[in-house]
Amino acid sequence: MAPLNWYLALSAVLFTIGVVGVIIKRNVIAMFMCIELMLNAVNLTFVAFSSYFGDVTGQLFVFIVMTVAAAEAAVGLGIIIALFRNRESLNVDEANVLKL
Amino acid sequence: MPWTILFFIIFGGMAVGCALSMVAQRNPLYSAVSLIGVFVALACLYLTLAAPFIAAVQIIVYAGAIMVLVVFVIMLLNAEEEARRPYRLKFLIPVAVGLATVLIAEAAFMLTVGGAARPDPVPPKVAEVGLTASVGTGLFTEYLLPFEVTSVLILMALVGAITLARRTQVIGVAEEDLAVAGGAAPSLEAASSGDRIITPGDTEATGQAMAREQIARGEAAAPARHGEEEKEGE
Repeated sequence: MAPLNWYLALSAVLFTIGVVGVIIKRNVIAMFMCIELMLNAVNLTFVAFSSYFGDVTGQLFVFIVMTVAAAEAAVGLGIIIALFRNRESLNVDEANVLKL
Repeated sequence: MPWTILFFIIFGGMAVGCALSMVAQRNPLYSAVSLIGVFVALACLYLTLAAPFIAAVQIIVYAGAIMVLVVFVIMLLNAEEEARRPYRLKFLIPVAVGLATVLIAEAAFMLTVGGAARPDPVPPKVAEVGLTASVGTGLFTEYLLPFEVTSVLILMALVGAITLARRTQVIGVAEEDLAVAGGAAPSLEAASSGDRIITPGDTEATGQAMAREQIARGEAAAPARHGEEEKEGE
């Protein structure tokens, strides 16, 4: 197998790209997808450690993280729909106050 | 060169390329397609790590369910390309570049200096860690409580998503309308019993019913109606 460090480096690069995307993107759906990318980068480290240490716990954790990501997707997209209904825009700069 | 290293280079490059493309695209739909590419590449990497169950779940849940939901919302909201407007907070761009540099430097430091002293852990001889049987055994014996808590979380997310996405305003008006029509104005209900069915999302029907209500009840209910309509119109 490829060395463990390679997988960790790839995960760090993917996580960094996700962070940069969240910071520079202004479309709320694009920011949402960058958060999904960060979750996947962390999952890669879990699976790599689990495989190299021969312990199944890391893969169970990945399973839980995927479930939480699915729940987050449902609620987050509901919030995005409500936001678009109220603001008529997906730009996060428009949504800077709590009241309408 | 062993096959796993070759596969790592291929799919790792595909993952990084698709991730960069996702951030660079301005159209959210293209970003979504690039993100699906990242998910597929990661699933292939999980296969090289001898975790076929997680790879299958990655394809089914992420590339299947979640991305279909995202693409559905993108098309529902008719999200156009981001306008190339000037950033209001210009200082965020150098901040992003600086933070990315720090993060990469930190990871590189940990991987070269910090991890050099330690040898790589030796993979076990029999690769049955990632198989469905071992994952299921772990999930339903030792980690049963997190599994059940996750199911409660899914239920809460279901209720929360439905609550967030429905149109509460119009449903409230329709219910009030039905109650008033049934109790206070039986003649009106008898006259208009033909089109009594008001679906929650049907604003035209509810609007006509509201108008009839106001005519029947005089001006008493008018201020409240105006208030609601103003709130909705904003």
